[in-house]
Amino acid sequence: MGMDPDFSADLTHPILFEEEWDRITAVVDAYDSNRPSHIAVIADPFAGQNILIDGIRRRHPDRVIHIPFFSVVKSRDFLTQITGHKDIVVMDHCHFLATRKIGGFTMLDAFLDYLSTSERLFITQWNSFTWSYLKATRHIDTFFPVTIELPDIDSKTLKPLILSRYTDEIEFIGDVTPPEEPLFSAPQRMVKLPFSNTSLTIPIPRIRQGNGGGNGLHPADAEDAAFDKIIRIADGNFGVAERLWETTFDGKTVRVADIPSIPCAVNLDINESFLLMIILSMESVSTVDLAEIAGPEINLKQALFRLTNQGLVVEEKGYFQIKPEALSCVKGYVTRIRMVW
Amino acid sequence: MAEINVTSATESSLIPSIVPDLDAVISVVLILVVAYLIVKVADILLRKISEKAGRYRITVTMVIPLLKIIVYVSAVYFILKVFFDPGLTELALFSGLFGAAIGFGLKDIFADIVGGVVIAFERPYQIGDKIEVSGTYGEVTDIGLRATRVVTPDDSVVSIPNYAIFQEPTASQNAGKTEMMVIIDIYIDPRSDAGTAMSILKDALITSKYVYISPKRPYTVLLQDYPFYRRIRGKAYVNDLRSEFEFGSEVTRRAWVELTRQGILPPPPAHVPGEVTEK
Repeated sequence: MGMDPDFSADLTHPILFEEEWDRITAVVDAYDSNRPSHIAVIADPFAGQNILIDGIRRRHPDRVIHIPFFSVVKSRDFLTQITGHKDIVVMDHCHFLATRKIGGFTMLDAFLDYLSTSERLFITQWNSFTWSYLKATRHIDTFFPVTIELPDIDSKTLKPLILSRYTDEIEFIGDVTPPEEPLFSAPQRMVKLPFSNTSLTIPIPRIRQGNGGGNGLHPADAEDAAFDKIIRIADGNFGVAERLWETTFDGKTVRVADIPSIPCAVNLDINESFLLMIILSMESVSTVDLAEIAGPEINLKQALFRLTNQGLVVEEKGYFQIKPEALSCVKGYVTRIRMVW
Repeated sequence: MAEINVTSATESSLIPSIVPDLDAVISVVLILVVAYLIVKVADILLRKISEKAGRYRITVTMVIPLLKIIVYVSAVYFILKVFFDPGLTELALFSGLFGAAIGFGLKDIFADIVGGVVIAFERPYQIGDKIEVSGTYGEVTDIGLRATRVVTPDDSVVSIPNYAIFQEPTASQNAGKTEMMVIIDIYIDPRSDAGTAMSILKDALITSKYVYISPKRPYTVLLQDYPFYRRIRGKAYVNDLRSEFEFGSEVTRRAWVELTRQGILPPPPAHVPGEVTEK
């Protein structure tokens, strides 16, 4: 029996993914070396998967071999780290084991071969889009009897998580908007008929844009409105919500109107869309790896320029990743064009 | 004299109902113009919406032929109403005249219209589908009352009379779905390693940017031996049927780059297979 996780001691997220945590610990506690129930933790980028992985490492420091991947795996050396008496193998970012190119599944096959004959318990973490792809093409789910998909969070969960980080009071300022407009209205408009001097007054239906406002919000309402808006823009993704909070919070106040809402207007060709999907599926990928996947058909520099220029990806030290604020937009786009299934 | 007078009175009372007045003509023209505009505007709007609908593209375009029929049938009804304000007797009379007209020479057009109605309701194919009818293969761009327009791979527009569905088998490659199966053949030298070639073609299929795979849309790679060559056949679904040929081309190109790198050769020149039609 290990100790209960003390999230608050090391992590800033005291109560996130409790149900998923209980499922993992139940499997670990019931571990049987003759028939280990390997675990796959599946999550969107930025969703907070490290909370569970770090929790397991701290709960069983003497039993865990930790293998994190930071880029595409090109050698089987990682398997040599699995030695000694430790019986739990925790692997981060397993989506780096497969590359979407001919011959790009060698490392994945090597890993699955190893896992198939191992008595150790493997707790692995996967990008949700890579997982769906490997599930469809390689039936990877058959190797992991326990799959745990991290859920979206709501504003009621986010609010205490964020506010628990601060001791000083935070001022929330609601929007000040014009007097409330009904959702549907039909203002009269003068229309001149063609080929005639006659004019007619006709009602033009109109649907209100935005929330219609009122004359500002009560501070308590503004607080809820701020977290509602953050969660709505983040589409329930914890990491994106955190990022939006950090962008908006100036140390003392949060103004609801300042929470950035990026318009989703994607205009890409098939090659650029493919690269966008690859970056989404690999979370952080180097230009070299992207070039190998893209092949000679795709002009990588031009494609990456357009992706960056449209505010969909960002580059950091030669690695490209989805811009957190654009995650929801990118997910919707690649799903709509059926790049992910 | 009395008889003559009666006859004259009857004739003069009939004249206004047979010769349409100017108002009636304008009404008919207006009805036709409005019907045409409704169909055109709805057609444009629905096509625009369908382009943004992703996987539901073809489902949205499915509404277009139905809408055309409803609008045009309504227009015919209103035109009849302008002249006759038809009751049951008038409708029966009109049907008789209409039947005679069909018998005299409009039967082909009528068969096309009935075919159009059947296509709209039974949906053997829909706008956006890839079909093969009467030896013509291509994408359905419009289903009119009289004919179906198909754009072939070489960008020719072919009008297929709607009655063709009564006389010839119609093959829809995607049956209203956005994805469709594409078959890709690669021929290799019989002395080459077929197992490696199959593995390469499989990887080329599943890593393609055009592929769509799900439990209901699986992929397969098959091997067939022939006297002078081996055929590796890959079957997989393209995510959007408009990319059918790009999918085949991309997979073939990438597969051959790797096959060549692995030392797998095409068949000897004398035995390169020609057009293969069997599936």
